[in-house]
Amino acid sequence: MNMRRVAITGLGVVAPLGSCVDELFAHLAAGRSGIRRLAAPLCEGLRSPIGACVEFDGGAHFAAAKLRMLDRVSQLALVAAAQAIADAKLDFAIERSDRCGVSVGTGMGGAGSTDEGYHIIYAERSERVKPYTVLASMTNAAASWIGIDYGISGPNLTYSTACSSSAVAVGEAARRIRSGDVDVMLAGGAEAPLTFGVLRAWEAMRTIASQDIHDPSASCRPFSRTRTGLVLGEGAAFVALEEWEHALARGARIRAELTGYGLTTDVAHITRPTVAGQAGAMRAALSSADLDPDAVDYVNAHGTATLQNDSVETAAIKDVFGERAYSLPVSSTKSMHGHLLGAAGALEFVIAVASLERGVVPPTMHLDSPDPACDLDYVSGCARTGVTLSAVMSNSFAFGGTNAVLIAETPDVHRRRH
Amino acid sequence: MSTLDTLQDILIDEFNLTRDQLVPEAELTSLGVDSLDLLELMFKIEDRYKLAIRDDVPTDLTTVGDVVVYVDDLLARQAKARDAGSGDLHAAT
Repeated sequence: MNMRRVAITGLGVVAPLGSCVDELFAHLAAGRSGIRRLAAPLCEGLRSPIGACVEFDGGAHFAAAKLRMLDRVSQLALVAAAQAIADAKLDFAIERSDRCGVSVGTGMGGAGSTDEGYHIIYAERSERVKPYTVLASMTNAAASWIGIDYGISGPNLTYSTACSSSAVAVGEAARRIRSGDVDVMLAGGAEAPLTFGVLRAWEAMRTIASQDIHDPSASCRPFSRTRTGLVLGEGAAFVALEEWEHALARGARIRAELTGYGLTTDVAHITRPTVAGQAGAMRAALSSADLDPDAVDYVNAHGTATLQNDSVETAAIKDVFGERAYSLPVSSTKSMHGHLLGAAGALEFVIAVASLERGVVPPTMHLDSPDPACDLDYVSGCARTGVTLSAVMSNSFAFGGTNAVLIAETPDVHRRRH
Repeated sequence: MSTLDTLQDILIDEFNLTRDQLVPEAELTSLGVDSLDLLELMFKIEDRYKLAIRDDVPTDLTTVGDVVVYVDDLLARQAKARDAGSGDLHAAT
């Protein structure tokens, strides 16, 4: 029996640099950064007051009575999921709802609602904690709302593996389709971490990039000798995944095939990545795609711009791809859209699929002086256009050690998988 | 302004409802106002009337009129407590 194949039929994003895939990708291809100095009052009292915000007003999308129940993370998720559904032209009213599911990754869930609740309790010394605080801040709220809004009654799952959360959510969703449990999965991630409490906590870890005084938008410099850390961003990204024959039967446009998913765990330390763990996840993804390393045309790197990640990831790529590593385009789009934590994996997978469709490799920006330990082709400073891509890889690694790697390939109707 | 008018104003602002819908007999759930919404609504009522409502909001308030009766009762008890020389509403309940 042939293995069930997973078609990607819809994409949706609400991200820094773009409120749809086309807008986002155009900015990335042009090398524009969405990282900015944060506005008051958020910037006051921060050592490094920078972030990648989404221009987004929930009031434009939801009625007041509903908005009251939704943390920003769920608002972003619902709008990005709606885009993916519209893009796939899926109508859940005519699908068998128990054969459809939702799979969401988020690191911090409704962090803004948690922050606000604690402010009321501890700072205002008030008893008036909002009655919806629990429902807005619970980690699975975004996934639940998507299920409720579209009547999707199959599995409704939330994965929280820090910065690889939504890569895991997409990969596990694909596995459920392959296994035959479901035919359609809405999979993605959302994060809304730009609250004072969250920003201060990240600063306390000393992992946030120093603000570039001359150009705040150039503060995140993956693979650079002068990199100082990551920049937090907010947003959501979703893919509509479908069993191949199901997509063909309803005449859906298949944008790409999700062929590979690899998962390993570093067990060295709660924050320190390992070459073996990252390389293992890339190998596992290649193996599940039944793909030779030489067939990969582009890697969207995890590339956080932390001291640890970028040199370890570079070494892991060399470990997997050998000599080919030096001619393989590898870029970190986090240099432009920042680090969306739990939403990063899905966002970067969407970017990788958009890259595959367009034959354009987005650049790594602000890489004027590479770290000697980072000596690959990082597509520095300028997008590469007019290239033929047939397989792309997206890397997502995490505090806690869960390494998740996804592979997408151009849709080939005639390919047979064993 | 009557308590009903005030309650209508708050509900019109917060729930996108019209005054015509907010007759005393109207059921809160059919207006899209659930039990958690009602708790949040009480914060607005506290602000408007300088009341202190704690966690003892009754669960049997089903219509707009029920809320009006509840708030009027609280206001009356608060006035009585004030007359008795106590500023604390809950000391009188």
